[in-house]
Amino acid sequence: MAAAGERVAGAAPAGYTALAVKFGARQRSPHYLLVKEHQVREGADTAHPPRRTLFVLNVPPYCSPDALSGLFARCGRVQSVDICDKPGTGEKKEKLTSKFFNRKTVTGFQVAYVVFRKRAGVQAAKALSQEGPLLISTESHPVKTGISKWIASYAASVVDREELKAEVDAYMQDYDKKIAEEEAKAAKEEGVPDEEGWVKVTRKGRKPGLPRTEAANLRVLEREKQKKARKELLNFYAWQHRETKREHIAQLRKKFEEDKQRIALMRAQRKFRPY
Amino acid sequence: PPPAVRGGSCAAVRHPPLMQNTGAARGGKRAAPAGAGAGALQPAKLSRAELYKPPTSEELSQLKETEDLFHSSLLRLQVSRGGPGSRRWPRSAPLRLTDQAWLPKGVKVPFLQVPFSVKGRFRFVPPTELKVVGSYLLGTCIKPEINVDVAVTMPREIFQDKDNLNQRYHRKRALYLAHIAQHFSKEKLFGSVKFAYMNSNHLKPILLLRPQGKDEKMVTVRLHACPAPGLFKPIRFYPSKNNVRTAWFMEQSTPKEGATEPPTPHYNNSILCDTVLLSHLQFLSSAATDFPGMKDGLALLKVWLNQRQLSKGLGSFSGFLASMLVAYLLMKRKIVKMMSGYQVLRSTLQFLATTDLSVTGISLVKDADASLPVLDDFHQAFEVVFVDPSGLVNLCADMTASKYHQVQFEAKRSMEILDDRMVDGFQVLLMTAKPMLRAFDHVFHLKHVSKLQGACKKMQLLNELMDRGGNYVAAALPFIVSLLARGLAGRALLVAHSLPEIPEWPIDAEPPKHKDVGPLMFGLLFVPEFAASLLEKGPQADHPEALDFRTFWGEKSELRRFQDGSICEAVVWEADTVYQKRLIPEQIVKHLLKLHADIPESSICYMGALLELSVCPQVSGTGEEAMVSVVCSYDDLSRKLWNLKGLPLTVTAVQGVHPALRYTDVFPPIPMKPIYSSYNRIRTKHLLLPLEEKPCPAYIAPLKIVCHMEGSGQWPQDKGAIKRIKAAFHLQLAELLQQQHQLVCRPAVTHTDVYKDGYVFRLQVAYHRETLILKEVVTPEGMLKYQDTEESRQLELETLHLPYLTSSLHGLQQQHPVFGSTCRLAKRWVSAQLLSNNISEECVDLLVAFLFLHPAPFTPPSSPQVGFLRFLDLLATFDWKNNPLIVNLNAGLTGEQAIKNRFVAARSRLPVMFIATPKDQWSSMWTQEQPSAQILQRLLMLASESLRAVEEQLMDPLNSQDVKMVFRPPLEFYDVLIHLNPTQIPRHLESVDRPLKSFSRGVVKNSTSVKILFPVVDYDPVQCYLQELRDAFSDLALFFYDKHGGEVIAVLWKPLSFQPQPFKVSSMKGRMVTTLNSELVCVPNVEAILEDFEVLGEGLVKSVEARTEKWTI
Repeated sequence: MAAAGERVAGAAPAGYTALAVKFGARQRSPHYLLVKEHQVREGADTAHPPRRTLFVLNVPPYCSPDALSGLFARCGRVQSVDICDKPGTGEKKEKLTSKFFNRKTVTGFQVAYVVFRKRAGVQAAKALSQEGPLLISTESHPVKTGISKWIASYAASVVDREELKAEVDAYMQDYDKKIAEEEAKAAKEEGVPDEEGWVKVTRKGRKPGLPRTEAANLRVLEREKQKKARKELLNFYAWQHRETKREHIAQLRKKFEEDKQRIALMRAQRKFRPY
Repeated sequence: PPPAVRGGSCAAVRHPPLMQNTGAARGGKRAAPAGAGAGALQPAKLSRAELYKPPTSEELSQLKETEDLFHSSLLRLQVSRGGPGSRRWPRSAPLRLTDQAWLPKGVKVPFLQVPFSVKGRFRFVPPTELKVVGSYLLGTCIKPEINVDVAVTMPREIFQDKDNLNQRYHRKRALYLAHIAQHFSKEKLFGSVKFAYMNSNHLKPILLLRPQGKDEKMVTVRLHACPAPGLFKPIRFYPSKNNVRTAWFMEQSTPKEGATEPPTPHYNNSILCDTVLLSHLQFLSSAATDFPGMKDGLALLKVWLNQRQLSKGLGSFSGFLASMLVAYLLMKRKIVKMMSGYQVLRSTLQFLATTDLSVTGISLVKDADASLPVLDDFHQAFEVVFVDPSGLVNLCADMTASKYHQVQFEAKRSMEILDDRMVDGFQVLLMTAKPMLRAFDHVFHLKHVSKLQGACKKMQLLNELMDRGGNYVAAALPFIVSLLARGLAGRALLVAHSLPEIPEWPIDAEPPKHKDVGPLMFGLLFVPEFAASLLEKGPQADHPEALDFRTFWGEKSELRRFQDGSICEAVVWEADTVYQKRLIPEQIVKHLLKLHADIPESSICYMGALLELSVCPQVSGTGEEAMVSVVCSYDDLSRKLWNLKGLPLTVTAVQGVHPALRYTDVFPPIPMKPIYSSYNRIRTKHLLLPLEEKPCPAYIAPLKIVCHMEGSGQWPQDKGAIKRIKAAFHLQLAELLQQQHQLVCRPAVTHTDVYKDGYVFRLQVAYHRETLILKEVVTPEGMLKYQDTEESRQLELETLHLPYLTSSLHGLQQQHPVFGSTCRLAKRWVSAQLLSNNISEECVDLLVAFLFLHPAPFTPPSSPQVGFLRFLDLLATFDWKNNPLIVNLNAGLTGEQAIKNRFVAARSRLPVMFIATPKDQWSSMWTQEQPSAQILQRLLMLASESLRAVEEQLMDPLNSQDVKMVFRPPLEFYDVLIHLNPTQIPRHLESVDRPLKSFSRGVVKNSTSVKILFPVVDYDPVQCYLQELRDAFSDLALFFYDKHGGEVIAVLWKPLSFQPQPFKVSSMKGRMVTTLNSELVCVPNVEAILEDFEVLGEGLVKSVEARTEKWTI
C-alpha cells in the first residue's frame, strides 16, 4: 500500500486518458475510467469501427450500457455500447436470440466499447478529462442499485409461461426439422460411395459398424492385449524365468523402500504426546 | 546415638557407581538440564508399526534415559538427608496428641482433626529406615509425573498400645510428616515442600519434595510414613473389625450400652496399606525380573489409563494397581515372561474386559491361610475386590463399582478397536484423550459437594462416614452412583463419576476440607434406542416388587393399565419435543437425587443440551419435528409426481437434495403463508413481489428436488435442445400439478417451484444422458471422447452425487437420531464464524458423518452437544496435511490403504482438505474448490479456540454458562465492516443473539392454503449484495458473512493485490493509475471502493466502517 501523500489522482498510462466518474453527486471519491481510441491490429473490426470507437477500461459495476451511453451523449451521438468482461477481439458474439436461454450477464468491473456516429465523438470524450467528475446516476436518468435493483431483477426472473412455451416450441420445431433433414440426407447417402469410393457407415445404417468413441476404442485395444497375452509363453525360456524373479525382487525392494519412507514420515508427523 | 538412617540403601544397591562417585553425580547435574530440554522439545514418537513390532520402543528408551538423569537429583537428596543432615533432627519430648504448640507457625498439621480430642502421646524420633519404593525402582514411571516414592519407617518407640483406634495412628503419622516438613522447609535444597493426600485419601497425607531449579517440574519425591514392621497385629484389621468407636466419633461421653460397633473396612485398609509398602515392592520386583515386556506393557497401560482419566484421584485405577494386576496375570499364567509389551497390554485389557471384580474378586495370596479373611468377607465390605499378596489389603478399596465398570467398558471397547483392522489402534487407544465431556453423552455437575452431607444423613450413612473418617463425599458417592444407575438402567450404558481429587497444598496452609474436591462431575452414556423413552414400566400392581418400585420412584409412580390388559406401576415423564425427550434423563436424575439424597435441583448443573436450544431455536423446541414434517410433505409430493398422469415420459426417480431432506438444515423451513398487504400483488401472474418500503419478506428457502425422467429415444441428443425440452417439462409439470393436485406452481427455465403445505419445493428435471452429452468432444480424427467440463461436472454433482449423499445421510440419521442435530450445530458454528461461504455444507455433513461412522475410541454420540465437541476436536486435531479423512458411508469401502497410498503419492495436487467416500474415492468433490489453505488454517484455529472456551464453560458449573460465546465471531481481525440494516435482513431472527426487536415479515405460520398468490421465494437481499460484491471485488478482498441473520459483512483486503503493480489492461478493475517514485503504477482506488460498497447496497447498508487503524492507503 503506497504512501498517501504523493498520489496524483487521475494519472494515465501512455495513450490513455483518465476520466473521473462518480455514481452520483453524493459520492466524494471518483473512479477513473481509462479511455482511448480503439485500435485493431489486423483485419477490420466490423462491430467496433476503429476511428469511431472509444475503448473504456474500468467501468464500475453499476454502470450499465444505457448509463454509459448517457455519459458520453454529450460528446456526440452514440451508436452502440458494448460491455464485456475483458477486452475481446471485438468479434461480435453471435446475437443472443433467446430471452430465456444462454443468458450471460456481465458483472463486476468491465470494459466497454462505445461506438460513436462520428469520429469527433471520440476526441470529445477524451477531452472530458478536463471537466469535473462525470455522474452516472443523474436525476433525469437514475440508475437502480441495491434493494430496488434486486426487487426489479426478482420480478424479471419470473417467466411468462406462454412466451417460454412459444419459444421452446419454435426452437424444437427448428431442431426437429434440422434433424429430419440430416436424417434424410444420411438416408440418401446410405450405401452410396463418394467420389473416392468410400462408403459412410452410420449408426442407423443396415450395418452399424463400430461406434467411434474412445470407450469403444479402449475396449478393442484391451481385447487385443488379452489375445496377445494368451498367446504369449510365460517362463518358458530360462532367461524369462530369471527375469521374472529379478523383477519380483526389485518390486519387493521398491515396496520396502516406500514403506520405510512412509513410516519415517508418519513418525515425523506424529508427536507422541499421550499426556 | 540415634539409629543411623540408612538412606537409600536400596538405591545404593542398584546404582552403586552413582552413589559412590560424586563426580558422576555432578556429571548428572550437568546433564540434567540438557536432558530436560530434549525431553520437552522432542517428545518420543511411536508409530503403529512400532506398536506391533518391538516392545522396546524409542519412547520407552527415552523415558528410561530421562529417568536415569533424575538419579542425580534423587541421590543428591538421599545422600544429604540420609547422611549428616538427619543428625540434626532432634528427638522431641512426648506430648499429648492434641498438644500441637510445638509446631512452628509455618507448618500446619496435614490432617483434618475432626473430632479434635483424642487420646495418646506423640514424640518425634528420627526414622529407622528410608527406602525407595514404587514404580521408580521398577522402571515403570511415565511422564508427565515422575514420582519417587520413599517409605519413611517410623520407629516403634513413638507408638503406644491401641494406636490402631480412632485415627490415632493416622494423626501420629501426620504429625510425624509435619515434623519432617518443618525441617525440610528450612533447607535451601528443595524447590518446594508441600503436602498432598495420597490418591486424594484424606487419611493419608504425604510429603512432596521437589528439587530446586529446572528439575522442579520434572520429578517429585513423595515421602510416605509407615509403621515399623510388626507393630500391629493383622487380625485387628480384618474387614469385619471395628477400629473407630462410635462414641468417640460422635463425641459422646459414654458409649451406648449394648450397641455393636460397625466394621470399619476402609479405615482398616488405610492402615494396612502402610504396612505392606515394602513387601509390595519386593513382590513387584520379583515379577518384573527377566520380564522386559512388563515394563513396556505397564508404560502402555498407564498411558491408556491416563488418557481415560482413570488414574488420578480417590478410588482411581492407579498405575500401581495396573502393575499389581499384571503381576496377578503373571501368577495365573495368563501372561508369561516371554510376552512383549503389546501382548501384556492386550492380555490385561482382555482380562479387564471379561472379569467383573465387583462380583468375582481376585486375590494375590499364594497359599491360602485359613486364618486370613476370605474373598466373601472382602466383597461384603468393599465394592471392588483385589486382594494383595498378604491377603489383608484390598487394593481397590476406594474404587466404586461404577468406576470399575467404566474401566471394564473401556477395556471392552479397546479390545474391539484392537481387533478392528480398519482402525489405527495405536492412535485411537493411546494417543487420543478421552475427557469426560467428550466421552459421555450427557454430563452434570454436583455444584456443591457439601450437599452430600445432607445426603449422608438422608441415606443414613453414619457407619460409612465413620469408616471414611468423616469424608462425606467418599461415603455418599457409591450410593449416589448406584441410585442413578438403578434409575437409569435400560437408558444408560454407563453411569460414571469423576474421581474426587484434592490438589497439593503448601505446608503453611490448613489441609483442604472435604468440600475442596470441587464440583463432582457425572457422565451418562446412553443406549440410543431407549434413552428418550417416556415410560418406565414397573412390576404388576399385585406383585411384591411393586412396593419397592413405588418407594424408589416416589410419587411419580402411578398405576396404569396397559394395552395387554395388565395393570402395572409405571412412571411417565413429560416431554413434547424431541429435544425435551432427550432431557428425560435430566428429569430422572434430578427427581431421584431430590427424593433419595435431599440434593436440591439448584445444586445440580445439567449440561446435556445447553448448546442446542440456545443456538438453533425454533418456534417449538429445536426444529427436529419441523424437519420431519418437511420430509413427510416431500414424500407426499414425490408420490404425486410418480403418479402424475399426462406426462409424455414417466418419472423414474424423485430425489431430494436440500439439506432439510437429510435432516441437516440448520433452520428447517416452517410452513408459511403470505400476508398480501405486505407485498406488491401481481394478480395476472398469480404472484407476489417484495415491496421496497416494507421490511424484507421472510426468507423462504426452495427445497430442491431432482426429478429424473425416463430415458427414451425421444430425447434429443443435443445440449441446447435438451435444455429446451427440460424447460418444456417444467412448464408441463407445473400445469399438471395444478390441474391434478391443485398445487400452486411457478415454472421457470431451470426449475418449477411448487407451493405445497406451506413449503416451496423446487423441482428440477434431469435426464441421465445429459451429463454424457455435455462431456462429448470430437477429436480431430473424428473420435468421440468424453471430457469433464465445468458444466458437466456441475450437473453431475447436482443430479447424481448430491442425491446419493442426501439419501446416504438420510439413512445415517435413521441409525443415529442425533446425527442431524449435530450437523446443524456444526454448521451453525461454521456459519457463525463467518465461514459458511468458504466450506460447503456437504463437507461439514461428511465431517459429522465421520464422527458417527468412525467414533473410535468413543462410542457414536447420542447427544448433539457431545457430537459438536467432537466435531471441534476433529477439526482441531486431524492432520489434514498428511491424512485423508475416509468416511465409510454405507460400509462401502474395503481398501482404505489404497486410498492412503494414492493420497500420499499425489498429495500436492489434491485439495487441502481431502475427504474420501465410497462413491468418491479420488476426487474429494465436496472440498475441491474450497476451503483454501488459509481458510482451513483459520478454521482449525477457531475450532481449537472454541473447543477450549466451550469446554472451560462446561467444566465450570459455578459460573453462569454462556455457551453462545463460541458462536460470536471475533471481528477485530477484519479491515472493513459493512453494517447492514436489520429491516432488510430476511433471516434476522436466526442470529445467535436473537434480536429483541423484530419486524413484520409478511408471513404467518400456516400450511392449509390452496388458492393463493405465489409467495416470494429465495429472495435474500444480503445474498444478492454479497454476490455483487464478490463479482466486483473478488480479486481485492474477501467477504465474510453469517448467512443466518448476521448484521455485519466483514471484509478482509488481500494484501498481495494492494502491492502497486505496473499498468495492465486486464487488471485495471477498481484500480487507478498513479505515480510512485516517478513510475506509473496501479493501486486499488480504496476510497471509491468504500463508497461503492454503499452504492451497491443502497437501502441495505447502514454504514461502512473502515478500520483504518489497521491499514493505510
